Order: sequence, then structure tokens, then C-alpha cells
Amino acid sequence: MLFWILVAVLTAAVAAVLLLPLLRAGRSADVAEARDAEVYRDQLDELTRDERAGLIGAAEADLARAEIARRLIAAKARAERSAPAGPARRNRMAQAAVIVLLPAAGLGLYLSTGSPDLPAKPLAARLANPGNDLNILIAKAERHLIDNPDDGAGWELLAPIYLRNGRLEDSANAFRQTIRVLGASPQRLDGYAEALIALADGVVTKDAREALQQSQALDPNNPRTRFYLALALEQEGRREEAKAAYEALVKDSPADAPWLSLVNRHIAGLSADVPGNPTSQDVAAAGDLDAEGRAQMIAGMVEGLAGKLKENPDNFEGWMRIIRSYVVLDQRTAAEQALQTALKQFPPQSENGKQLLALADELAISVKDGGK
Amino acid sequence: MIIELGHYVLVLVLATAIIQSLLPLAGTLRNDPALMAVAPPAAVSGFLLTVFSFGVLTLAYVTSDFSVLNVWENSHSMQPLIYKFSGVWGNHEGSMMLWLIILTFFSALVASFGTNLPERLRANVLAVQGWITAAFALFILLTSNPFLRLDPAPGEGKDLNPILQDVGLAIHPPLLYLGYVGFSVCFSFAIAALIDGRIDAAWARWVRPWALAAWSFLTAGIAMGSYWAYYELGWGGWWFWDPVENASFMPWLAGTALLHSALVMEKREALKIWTVLLAILTFSLSLLGTFLVRSGVLTSVHAFATDPTRGVFILAILVIFIGGALSLFAFRAPTLKAGGLFAPISREGALVFNNLILTTAAATVLTGTLYPLVLEALTGEKISVGAPFFNLTFGLLMVPLLLAVPFGPLLAWKRGDLLAAGQRLFAAVGVGLVIAAIVQWAHGGGPVLAYFGLALGFYMMAGAVTDLVLRAGVGKVTASVARKRLFGLPGSAFGTALAHFGLGVTVIGIVAVTTFETEHVVEMKPGTTVEAGGFVLTFDGMRQGRGPNYTEESGHFTVARGGVRVTDIWSSKRVYTARRMPTTEAGIRTFGLSQLYVSLGDPMNDGGIVVRVWWKPMILCIWLGGIIMMAGGAVSLFDRRLRIGAPQGARRPKAAAILEAAE
Amino acid sequence: MTRKQKRLAVIGGGVTFLFAAVLLVMFAFSQSIAYFYVPGDLAKADVPPGTRIRLGGLVEAGSVKRGEGSTVTFTVTDTIGTVPVTYTGILPDLFREGQGVVAEGAFVAGNRVFVADTVLAKHDETYMPKDVADRLQAQGVTLSGKETIK
Repeated sequence: MLFWILVAVLTAAVAAVLLLPLLRAGRSADVAEARDAEVYRDQLDELTRDERAGLIGAAEADLARAEIARRLIAAKARAERSAPAGPARRNRMAQAAVIVLLPAAGLGLYLSTGSPDLPAKPLAARLANPGNDLNILIAKAERHLIDNPDDGAGWELLAPIYLRNGRLEDSANAFRQTIRVLGASPQRLDGYAEALIALADGVVTKDAREALQQSQALDPNNPRTRFYLALALEQEGRREEAKAAYEALVKDSPADAPWLSLVNRHIAGLSADVPGNPTSQDVAAAGDLDAEGRAQMIAGMVEGLAGKLKENPDNFEGWMRIIRSYVVLDQRTAAEQALQTALKQFPPQSENGKQLLALADELAISVKDGGK
Repeated sequence: MIIELGHYVLVLVLATAIIQSLLPLAGTLRNDPALMAVAPPAAVSGFLLTVFSFGVLTLAYVTSDFSVLNVWENSHSMQPLIYKFSGVWGNHEGSMMLWLIILTFFSALVASFGTNLPERLRANVLAVQGWITAAFALFILLTSNPFLRLDPAPGEGKDLNPILQDVGLAIHPPLLYLGYVGFSVCFSFAIAALIDGRIDAAWARWVRPWALAAWSFLTAGIAMGSYWAYYELGWGGWWFWDPVENASFMPWLAGTALLHSALVMEKREALKIWTVLLAILTFSLSLLGTFLVRSGVLTSVHAFATDPTRGVFILAILVIFIGGALSLFAFRAPTLKAGGLFAPISREGALVFNNLILTTAAATVLTGTLYPLVLEALTGEKISVGAPFFNLTFGLLMVPLLLAVPFGPLLAWKRGDLLAAGQRLFAAVGVGLVIAAIVQWAHGGGPVLAYFGLALGFYMMAGAVTDLVLRAGVGKVTASVARKRLFGLPGSAFGTALAHFGLGVTVIGIVAVTTFETEHVVEMKPGTTVEAGGFVLTFDGMRQGRGPNYTEESGHFTVARGGVRVTDIWSSKRVYTARRMPTTEAGIRTFGLSQLYVSLGDPMNDGGIVVRVWWKPMILCIWLGGIIMMAGGAVSLFDRRLRIGAPQGARRPKAAAILEAAE
Repeated sequence: MTRKQKRLAVIGGGVTFLFAAVLLVMFAFSQSIAYFYVPGDLAKADVPPGTRIRLGGLVEAGSVKRGEGSTVTFTVTDTIGTVPVTYTGILPDLFREGQGVVAEGAFVAGNRVFVADTVLAKHDETYMPKDVADRLQAQGVTLSGKETIK
């Protein structure tokens, strides 16, 4: 409310300043030529000064004086000829223009791009009172870690959060720090490998493979480790070994394990003699191999975000995040729906729309109607 | 809330600018003083509103309000405070806000200091300023709005581009824009005069201070930018003929020409049409520079192709303003009466020569800058036009101009005597040659051209002094009279001499650095030494360090001469954490006007590191000359007589009184 | 001199000067323009040794080798062709394997090694030398897999 009052006061004040000269009737403009004459008179004075100071010879000074005098006379003659300013008019049109244009243009343009309900959020205030602002909680943890780089628990907390938020390099670094401070565990090594794989867009790099092997040495039966190692074999072109590794993983898994469908897909791919096509969703989906609790946590966050987006659909970043999250959760239909809704808000031709399409491309979600 | 208020006020700026651009013009057409009187308050309130809006954006930066998209993209909470400030204009949106605030600042100056202008002229000038303001405000609001919000707000920003985290950036863009945008006032004066069809000597006198002010700022801005590139990029170069640099240099060349032609117009009422055209061209080049830098055509045609709104919008502004101005010019120019007569050899003739060379040089730079873009657009063929092209063309063009500079002020108006002027410059030529000969004797070797260049620089400096000495009448009158006369000289005489003197200083710096600098690229291990400029540098080793938002590795060097330790140098490579971007922080030590410049390369496998060491003799002259030139402009500007056709007595403008009080 | 003669002298002088300037610009263009190539073009276009060109592309991963002192060799690729490059001096901060680069210099006679005297990798992580971006996009190459050049 205060905001709108201030907006009204400001607009009125500016309008008043602009209206004042229009309302002051009876003023008449000076004659332009009179100002010209002033300049020439001043030039003459200057010439006299220069002559007196000996800066200019008498003959030259006389010539120059004659020239300026001619201009002065011409200006005076013009001044007498030129008509004085017309009588002051009422200018109702101009007054109306000021009164209408200011608020109309102001509000019209502002409302199309502004977010009047959003308060300012200086960082200091947010840090002092973080509430459940996840970003600020992360930022606080980061600040803490800058001063206490040996707080392993802190790193361990942040690493998976980074991974979920797509801050892959930070995530890899956080896992690395965790391992440095707290020592290796299959959990941490796998997370580290996962971050590296995500960074390489689904390719199990040398570093990632080494981490996985180290993890397997610690716990030979961890399904997540085994999946990624099989994936590494597949990517190296060792198809038979890869298939064997996947099949062994299926055999050792309980019948209702959530990762079975993923593993079976890979087996099918290898059997069908089509080279595997590991993508980031493999990596993401493999996250399910861990605990369900984690999936639930993500699901909870996504729900919250979905709710916010329903209320406030022009949050572009939010849409990007939720589409990504749905894919991570392997809810591809939901991702497609979100994309549809987002594209309604940000048409495909707009810059944001293009980014959405690029994201869809990257995540391999199809765009029904619309799009390109 | 305050953020949104800043956003709303920015919209109000646009609305005010629209009113400012329409009502005063209607006033001059209908000869209605009330409508004309709207212009000054509109201009002043437009400026105040912009200040508020800009202030809000700055506040968002200082408080790290990452709910503002622009802040999140270009700031970091750990950044030192000064870079939170300078970060405001270290990005596209913010720099356009800076453009706008300076534009409205100049409008407000015209509104409040131009009380001695004829009312019609002032109303028209402010109306044209209003058009420009409206165009840029609309551009900002539609394509580059810095007040867009993020919800939920991120917890940390993406940091300002590390090479921009430097004191140089805090000062350089504002200075440069003060120059660039300052020429908008000259443009507006030209358009206003064309609309009214009245252009005379008085007009030139009113325009000159604005041209002087803009020129001085632009000179300082370019010099500052050149120094910033020199020490921040770590390449040791001070001018790269990069399109972005050319974009600021072209308006400078045209603006310098404008300053000189306006002088002729004021004194002799000659060159009227030409001066008006130059005023239009100078600001057009500023706009072109803005287009080149801001549309993205330079870094990638794709940046322009995928997000065409910005590029096309600025292109439209460019076409409308330049096209419109030139059409108006073509329509009005034939009706202007030719002014005073002069012989080819005269002060006027010398200034025409100056204009001819400066505009040709500007056209050459323009050709070299745009040719690759045009060729690619037409044929798809890609070429690059680099420093060799500019050095050859621009360098050759400048030689006759530099030779002629000392002659100009010595020639009389209307009809000059070249021979007499030449005789008076005899001493200056002697000074130049003698000093060059001494340097040759002391230094030995080196190309003949280099000594010619040095002689040229010293000749220009001596020529500038000669001008003052002659004006004071030294030798003709007694010493005390001469001293009195010297101090009685008008500021503009000192300004001219200073500017020409500074140009000579810059020439010396350029010649000395390009011909006498030495460069060593060596691999160094702790304990190894390298010699440069008579100094012996010993590499002592590396040290790790941490700044607020970066980590760095610094190499330490001990500098000794003749076995005695003189000083030491730290040179470092930084990695900025948020963007994971490396930068080189060159180690620089100054000895007199020369510098030792050390930058680090890559570490080698065997523990050594590649080090690049330059000895840059007299390099500071390049920028020192720029500063002297700027000082010349400032001295001229404060000349009592330029206080704007200063009407004496009762109607003396308040501004002049204030300026005088300040002296 | 009459008014007309004076004017003619000024205009004549100006025109002569401009003409000279145009000749100078054309001469400078013929001397100092460097054409831009990516490795794939070089097989078709026969660039004689000693001609200055700009070579653009990506630095091939694993190709950067440091030799004597500050001499560096690396390979520039556009995935169609590759060109070995040697350069003596300090590489720009942002020179990295897999990143876009523009090298300016000439081929030496005899072998097909490009000797660069300038290597540019502009100061911006998202910067892609314009020429490189155009050509690579024309050939459908994406950068580093993560970001397509738009």
C-alpha cells in the first residue's frame, strides 16, 4: 500500500513541476536576437582588452572591430524586425498531455515488467533471518566453510545439495573436500564420481572411474557403484563385459529395486546391438539407487516449487529448475507438462522461451505443439 | 519496495523525457513562451529522477540484493565495496543506466546554466536532448531493464567479471561516457539551430564550452582506458586498435576537429555549415560506438542474431537520429549564408587543414573498423584489419598535422605569413633536433625515424612554449611588462598551448616506447636473473595468497642496478572463485617516466615459470600527455570569455558567478 | 587572389589530400589484411608460406606441449582438419585445451607448421572468437558438449 502511495505522490509531484510553467500565464519570451547582440558586445569588449594588453595590433584590431560591429548591427536590425512572442495561451492540450501521459505511460510500462509485491531483499537481512530460504542456508554454509575449510560435515551436507541444484563443479569440489577431511567412504566416493560424471555429461571419466573403483574396494556390493562401473565398461566399448556386469547387478538386486528398470534398459540396449547412449538422465536416475529418503526430499522440494509457480508463473528460473527436477525424478510427463505451461508464459520466440527449448533439447523432453 | 520504486521512477524518466521532447518544440513552433518554459524543469526533474533510479540500483548492489537479476549476475557479496559500486556500470544494463544519467545530467546543465541562451534555442536544444533521453530510456526499459527480479532470490551472486574488478574500471567508463554523451549537447545545439534556421557566430560561442567539456572528459577517458588495458590485461600493450577502442577514438578525432572549427566560426563566422555537420557527425560516431559495443556485433554476430532486440533497437536509434539529423542538415544547409573570407595561408586555413586531416583520420579508422563487418555481411568472407593497417594509415596522416600544429596559433586570422611563422619557430625546430641528437649520442643505434619522431615531439612542446612567449612579447618589451602580459593572457591561450604541449608529450612517449622498449620472455627458476633496461631482476620464488574473492600465486622479483638492490616487484596470477576465471596482475615499477613491467606466464613441468619482462622507456609520457591535453581543455573552459557570451551586469547568469567565486 | 581562386585553392588542396588518403588506405589494406581460416578450409585453400593469416578453431585436447624455454606447440582443430601450431611467448590467461582460440601468423616453407606470433583467447569465459563460432556452427560442432553455440 505504501508503495502505491509513494508512486502516486511521485507522479503528482513531477506532474506539478511540469504544469507550473504552463499555468504561469502572461509571460513573454525575450527576443532571441537580443542575446546575439550581447555576445557580439562581449566580443568587442574582449577585443578592446586584448588591444590594451598589446596582444593584438591596432590595425588588426580595427579590422576585427569592424567585422564584429557589422554582426552586431545586423543582429540589432533583426531584433527590431522580429515579432515579439505571441500572447500567452491556455495550452489546455499541453496540460492534459502532462496530466494523462505521466501516470498512463508510467503505470502502463511499469506494470508490464515490474513486480510491485516483491520486497527488497538485502543480503544482510536475509542472512540474519534466513527462515526457510534454501539459497540463503546454502550461502550461510558456504561462508562458514570459507572460514572453516576443515569442517567436513559442512562439506558433506553441501555436496549433494549442489549436485541437485546443478552446481556440478561446486559439488565435485565439496565431495573432494569431504573425502579430504573425513576420509573416503563408498557414499562419498560415489557422490564424487556422480558429480564428475554429470560434469562430463554422462561420460564416466578417468577420475570418476578411479573413485568408483576405490569405492568398490570398500564396499563391493553397492549397486550404485556397480551400475556406474558397468556404464564405464559400456562406454569403453567393452559391451560383453558391461552386459555381464549389468546382469550380475540385476541378479543381486531385490525384485522391487527402483533401479531395475534403468539397468534393464541398458541390458536391452546392449542386447539389441545398439550402442548405449548414456545421458544425464542415467546419471540422475541413478541417484535413486541410493536411499528413497533422498528422492522424497527432492520430491518435497519440487512440490513446493510447483506451488509457488502456480501462484507466480512468471518466475523463469523456477520453471527451468522444476523441469530439470522432474527429469531428475524421472517424471518425464510432468516435465513435459511443466514445459508446456512455461512456454505459455514465455513464448518460444522470446529469449527465455529459447532457453526453455534449449533445456528441453538438452534433457531430451519432447515439446508437443508449439515449439519450433 | 525501494527496488520497485526505482523501477517505477525509471519509467517516469521516460514519460518526462517524452513531455520534454514535445512541448518545448511545440512552443517554438507556435511561439508560445509558456510551452517553451516547460523544458528546463522537465530536464532538471528528468535528471533528478534518473539519479534516484540509479541510486536505487546502486543500493541494490551495495546491499547485495540478489533478488535483482542484474545484481545477481554481476556482483558477489564478498566483493570489496568499491567493486560493488563500480559493478553497477560494469555490465550492459548498468552501463546503459550510466549513459542515461550522464545524458540527463547534461540536459540539466543546459537547463540551469544556459540562462543566457535565447529561449527558443534553449527550448529546442532541450527538446532534442529529450528525444535522445526518451530513446535510450525506452531502450533500457524494453531490452535492458536492470530492475528485473528473481523470486526466490539466489543466495550468492555470480561475481563481476574479474578483469573489471579494478580501480581503473571504477573511473574509466564514467569519464568516457561524460565525453561520449557530452557531445550530445553539441548535437542538440546543431539540430536546434537547424530547426530554427539561425546559425551564426553567437551559436558557435554557445556550443564551444560544451564541446570543450565533452572533449576534455573524452580525452581523460581514453587515456584512462588505455592505461587500464596496459596494466590489467598483462600484455604490455597500451593501444590495440581494438574495435571497442576505435569506437571511443573516432568521436575524439571528430570532436577535436569540432573544437577547432567552432573556433573559426566564432571568430570569423566562416565554416558554418561544416561546423554544424561536424557537431552532428561527432555525436553520430558516439552513437555508432555505443551500437558497436552494446549490440554484440563485435564479439559475435550470433549474439546479435539470437537476441536481435538490443542490436536492432540501437540500430534503429542510430538510423533515426543520424538519418534524421543529416536529412534536416541537407534540407537546411543550402539556406545558410557563407561567412567571412580568408586566404589559404591564415589561422583559418591552418584550422581547415587541421579539420581535413582529423576527419580523414577518423574516416580511416572508421573504414578499418567497419570494413570487416561490411565485407562479412556482403560476401561472408572473413578478414581482420589489425594494428598494421591503422599504424600505417593513421600514422602517416598524423605526421603533416603534427608538423603543422605549432604553426596554427602563430598565423594571423584572415591572412597569415607562413615565412614569418616559420622564422619564429626556428628555435623550436632547433630544440627538437638538438634533443634528438643528444638522445642519439647517448643511446646510440635505433632507426632514424625514431629520432625524427622524438625531434617532432620536442619541437611541438617547444612550439607551444614559443606561442606563449611571443604573445607575452618577450624580447620586444621589458621583462616585467612581458611577465604581466603573460599572466594577463586569456585562459584559452594557455589552453591551446597546454593541449598542443601535451600532444607533443604523448608523441614522445609513443615514439620512445615503440622503438626503444625491450622485451624478454624467459623461463625462470628461483635464483635466475634477467636483465632489462639496465636493471637486473632476480626471481625469488612463488607465494600463495588469498583475496576476498580470489586466490593468487605471486612471483617475487628483486630488482637491482649495479649490484645494489633498488626495489622489488610482485607479479601474480589470480583465479576468481565464483567464475573460476584466471587473470594476470602484472607487476609494475615506475622509474621516472619509464616502467619495468613483469607478467607471469605458465609454470613449467620442471618447477620454472615463464616470465615476460618489459622495459618501457618514457611510457608514462603517453598518458601524461593526455592529462596535459585534458588540463588544456579545462583551462580553456574556465576562460572568463567563454563563460558563454557572458552578458555582463544585471543579467549575469548565476552559474558564471558561482564559477568565478570558485576561482 | 580573388574569392573564387581562394576557394578553388582550398577545395583543390582538400580533394588532392583526400585522394592521397584513399590511395593510402587501399595500399594499407592490400598490405595488412589477414584472412581468416579454420583448419578444414586450409586443405582446399592453398595458402602460400609466409602469407599472414588468422587461424581459428579449438585447441585439441592433449595437444599442448611445452618445448624449449617458452615455446609451446599445440594443435588447432575444427574437427574436420587439424593444424599444428608453434608459438613462443606467454599464452593468454584463458588459453585452455578444448577452448576456442585464434592464432595469427604464417606457415613456414617446407613443413605445414603454423608459426604464430599472436594467440588470442579473449578475456571472457563465454567468449568465442566470432569467426570461430561462425565456422564451427556452420559445421555443426558444439562446444565442450555442454553448451551449444547459439
